[in-house]
Amino acid sequence: MLAIKNLKANIDNKEILKGLNLEIKPGEVHAIMGPNGSGKSTLSNVLSGKKGYTVTGELKYFNENLLDLEIEERAHKGIFLAFQYPLEIPGVNTNIFLKTSLNAIKKAKGEKELDAIEFLKLVKQKAGELKFDEKILSRQLNVGFSGGEKKKNEILQMSILNPKLSILDETDSGLDIDALKIVSEGVNALRSKDSSFLIITHYQRLLDYIKPDFVHVLIDGQIVKSGGSELAIELESKGYETLS
Amino acid sequence: MIEQLKSDFNKMTENFKFSESDVELRKKNLTNFINKGFPNKRIEDWKFSDLSQIISSNIKNLSFYDDKTYESKEQISLINKFEHNKIIFINGAISKIDIKHEDDTKVLINNDLDLNNNTEEINSLVSLNHALASAHIGIIVKENYSLNKPLILYNITTEDVNSTALNLRTDIRLEKNSNLKLVTIFDDQSENNFINITQNFDIAQDAILKSYKIDHKKNSNIKYFYNNINLDKNSISENFIFSTGSKFIKNEVNCNLNDQYSSAFINGVINLKNSQHHEIKTNINHLAENTKSYQLIKTVLNDKSKGIYQGKIFVDQKAQKTNGYQLSKALLLNENTEFDGKPELEIYADDVKCSHGSTSGNLDEDSIFYLMSRGLSRQQSKELLINGFLMDAVEKITDLEIKNLIKDMMGVVE
Repeated sequence: MLAIKNLKANIDNKEILKGLNLEIKPGEVHAIMGPNGSGKSTLSNVLSGKKGYTVTGELKYFNENLLDLEIEERAHKGIFLAFQYPLEIPGVNTNIFLKTSLNAIKKAKGEKELDAIEFLKLVKQKAGELKFDEKILSRQLNVGFSGGEKKKNEILQMSILNPKLSILDETDSGLDIDALKIVSEGVNALRSKDSSFLIITHYQRLLDYIKPDFVHVLIDGQIVKSGGSELAIELESKGYETLS
Repeated sequence: MIEQLKSDFNKMTENFKFSESDVELRKKNLTNFINKGFPNKRIEDWKFSDLSQIISSNIKNLSFYDDKTYESKEQISLINKFEHNKIIFINGAISKIDIKHEDDTKVLINNDLDLNNNTEEINSLVSLNHALASAHIGIIVKENYSLNKPLILYNITTEDVNSTALNLRTDIRLEKNSNLKLVTIFDDQSENNFINITQNFDIAQDAILKSYKIDHKKNSNIKYFYNNINLDKNSISENFIFSTGSKFIKNEVNCNLNDQYSSAFINGVINLKNSQHHEIKTNINHLAENTKSYQLIKTVLNDKSKGIYQGKIFVDQKAQKTNGYQLSKALLLNENTEFDGKPELEIYADDVKCSHGSTSGNLDEDSIFYLMSRGLSRQQSKELLINGFLMDAVEKITDLEIKNLIKDMMGVVE
């Protein structure tokens, strides 16, 4: 599904990613762990197409060169980034935004767009599955939401847009245990043989709830070690120091 | 210009057969205008909008009176989203008065008013208006009466008129505990005219005025829209200005909070393209204790347009416990746009709460990235952010029908 070879990314003449290699197959859950400043957020930004980076190397997604695609085209093709800090968008109703988003993706795929009633039905169902209070959706997008509500909203968007590759950028940061559980359950419910996840996190904590197939350690812009879920536990006890 | 002005004035006074005292007052106002002329940037209130220069560079050979009469035309587009009363002005003349939804002993409409009221010298344009108003309407809402439906004033111009100054004047009195929803809407098929409108409101105790001003259709006219609002005890004035259609428009609102517990709200949206130039200027005078004012103006500027908000809050020494607030936010989408904000607080009482704020900037790139990462195009993302930005002010409109009408005009989908 995703093949990254020798990926390098610069911003303001500073090299952040220094030759990163990673392959994700359909149905797999990969976790990327690493200390602050190792390039985790840069990786998620580069994958979703954020401007401002000079990128070299190979970034193949279903045999298509991701670097040729605009941000929204990547979303149309099934890439979803759950933000570490979801933005507050004043004056924009969450439901209306979600419907615009879903229909933009459906339109790009050549599928039939949903009308208001079909959409509300879908939202009700998804919110129910994720045990989210759908009242949130009649509010302005993320405005005045608590940290937990913002992250839940990201997961709800993810479940409605039904992406093929979901990138979760430090989704666990700022969550209490209860919110962490709900968010994790949400992610687990979306796991399937066709959908893959790239989970970026500081701590092993999230991985207690979402069990990854592979764990990679990112230090100074490169993956220095890969392994199974046991690697996360090892890191938690020994820290990153021993690897760098 | 002065020769033209005088001869147009004479032509008009002959045609209309005004009373002698009326003619005297009009003459006084004419002299006033002749002495001062169109305001230019040397006048503090006009330093961001040099009207004299704007008129001379856009309108050749301005005339001040158009003696032709025009039939109501088929193509006039009236609001069909909700029932309403209407007064239609075509090219500065009254074409139709229809208040069929109301008790006509409670709503009095009179186009033969005594001009003695409210002719104090305000500025040269109000003088010009009072000298040459071709349509002068008086509306009285009687005590305890609330109109069943909104009243819409349609200011329509047709392609028959150009290079002309059109002056319209409306005086509205809300008696005790009465209620009026007023919409003033512009619809211009004409080009290069100067449209000068004065509305005067006297709002008695416990009465409520909701006044919405809509300039939404693209046109090349130059406009000045002056509102004077006098508020009595415990009365409310809600104003909304939707400013996006004309080449130039200056909306000026002067609001006198004359007695306790009166409140004034002025909210507005300026949304411009090309070389449009719009200004909102407010004066809120807190003249009694426990009065309140609130202002929120949102501006979006594209291309090489120019937006201005000058907001003044004056607090008299008698006006203790005043609560005054104003906020202006502007989005400049292009480096060739210009926004000028001039907040002013002049406070002579010591126990007051007054605040003002002003911000301007471009759209947030991170917000655009967030929306695009959900599949929206850059254009869609920008539109959503811009409408969201403006919606803040639109949501202040307390009348649902009119709020939806304006949202519709903005192309907001719900």
